[in-house]
Amino acid sequence: MAFINNQPPHKVTHLKLVMPAGWPKPSTDIFAFNPLTEEGFQLGRKLFYDARLSKDGNFSCSGCHQQFAAFATYDHDFSHGFNNSFTTRNAPGLFNLAWQKELHWDGGINHIEVQPLSPLTAVNEMAETLPAVLKKLKADTAYIRLFKAAFSDGIINSQHLLKALAQFTGSIQSYNTKYDKVKRGEDSFTLSETLGYKTFIAHCNGCHKEPLFTDNSFRNNGLTLNEKLKDYGRMTITGKPADSLKFKVPSLRNCTITFPYMHDGRLYSLGKVIDHYRTGIDTTQRTLDALLKKRMAISNQEKVDLVSFLLTLKDEEMIHDTRFLQPN
Amino acid sequence: MKGFLFFVFCFLLCVLFADTAKGQVGDKQQQANVRITFINTINQQPVVLDSGNYSNCWNENFTLSKLKYYISNISLQTIGKKINREENSYHLINEEDTASKSLLFLIPPDKYASVSFLIGVDSLKNVSGAQTDALDPLNGMFWTWNTGYIMFKLEGSSPQSASINNKIEYHIGGFSGINTVLRKVELNFGSNVISVNKDHLTEIIIRANLEKIWNAGDDFKITNTPVCTSPGGLAAAIAGKYSSAFDIIKIIQQKVLYYSF
Repeated sequence: MAFINNQPPHKVTHLKLVMPAGWPKPSTDIFAFNPLTEEGFQLGRKLFYDARLSKDGNFSCSGCHQQFAAFATYDHDFSHGFNNSFTTRNAPGLFNLAWQKELHWDGGINHIEVQPLSPLTAVNEMAETLPAVLKKLKADTAYIRLFKAAFSDGIINSQHLLKALAQFTGSIQSYNTKYDKVKRGEDSFTLSETLGYKTFIAHCNGCHKEPLFTDNSFRNNGLTLNEKLKDYGRMTITGKPADSLKFKVPSLRNCTITFPYMHDGRLYSLGKVIDHYRTGIDTTQRTLDALLKKRMAISNQEKVDLVSFLLTLKDEEMIHDTRFLQPN
Repeated sequence: MKGFLFFVFCFLLCVLFADTAKGQVGDKQQQANVRITFINTINQQPVVLDSGNYSNCWNENFTLSKLKYYISNISLQTIGKKINREENSYHLINEEDTASKSLLFLIPPDKYASVSFLIGVDSLKNVSGAQTDALDPLNGMFWTWNTGYIMFKLEGSSPQSASINNKIEYHIGGFSGINTVLRKVELNFGSNVISVNKDHLTEIIIRANLEKIWNAGDDFKITNTPVCTSPGGLAAAIAGKYSSAFDIIKIIQQKVLYYSF
């Protein structure tokens, strides 16, 4: 009776991203062709925490993107990959991805859905192939059920795998820090935080623009080239010499738990980062950002207050949100 | 009796199905079948992967192990300059898969003067996230580190190549700015205007003369450039070469003996 469709209509629970008041509108809707649903989110969540997505079963997405570290790798300059390898860049935190036009430090990824292909197949990360991942998923009754729940045709293919992962990672939002609460009039800054905020506006907001604390641009912040890695950042993607040594401006949200800092994790504390901008910038670099040509005049007291302010950007609600925990 | 009842049942089902199908594909029944078949050749010889031996205008010898490229946005232009497009037109031509080299689609009956297509995947599909079917990253034609499709992939080996294992590896991609490798190819039917109609299958046989990747007019040789695997000026130049490789060698029309739905 193949012609008669006895299947009940496919029912899903639609979800919506939160658009916090006063925030800019994302430049594109990452869910325009991938309707956000509870079922898609839950499938993506299971996939995110599933180490079987890697070649040897040791590396899940969550292995390097840990919730307690705002989905960065806690206390690691480089993350660990297949066969005792290192990644070549510091794992970024994952939140507010709907506001990011390009992903990765060099902006090489132009859509959230295709990002997982990179870590999934990189030999120094999960080292797996797409056909092998799909074979594992198709053999698992739990996944057969979850794909059916999330997608009307229930097909287990790369497109659905990637869309589900995007639903999970794209749903991770940070908008409930102390800073946000102060802005909403629900809390107030201490004196030190207030002074630190002033320093932040004077020296940092040019690139780490409120309320996302990044302007998503690519800039050379005057770090010397790591001779071993020879990572030229954005130029690798665009091929333009003008983009040499430029990397994406990371968000400062949750920065107290995403250490170490910079694209190669070379600076281990916020104090060291501030010192870099005070005295460490290599001003001889041709592509050095115009805003950094003059070293920052930040006093020791201002530095202490600035760190107090940066502490208000930690999002306790996000890192403890049970919806983002490993599923049972 | 049982057999008869089964027959009646089947007949009813057919009627039912035909009735529901009519609403959806009513237009399509008025359309005509066109099949475009690609034949990849080098110096007039059909490409045979692994075992075929070829040489280019520089007398560099080579064999091929992989040959894949995207053909998208196929359209036919009528003599009245009307452009009829194939819907959802994305195809991966893969030399090792014969079926992939014949593209069958429907088009309104008319008198046609030319066919055009894009070598590669249009920029929109390069920035729109995870795709499926011909555009599935499973096909090995997608860059994971710098989002975008590999539009044209040629791999092989040559004693003239100084790269590892004498490899030749051209992975041609890049869809934006001056280094885009997207090339539109338009092939005229010339004096042979073809009348496409629903009673006939019209088959257009297109040959890709891939020896044109090399020519005496510049210094692009296997010796100096055995590998190109990233977007940029070199990739764009190679795309310019293979885009001139296509021509129509035959158009065949044969009566359709059956309906498929």
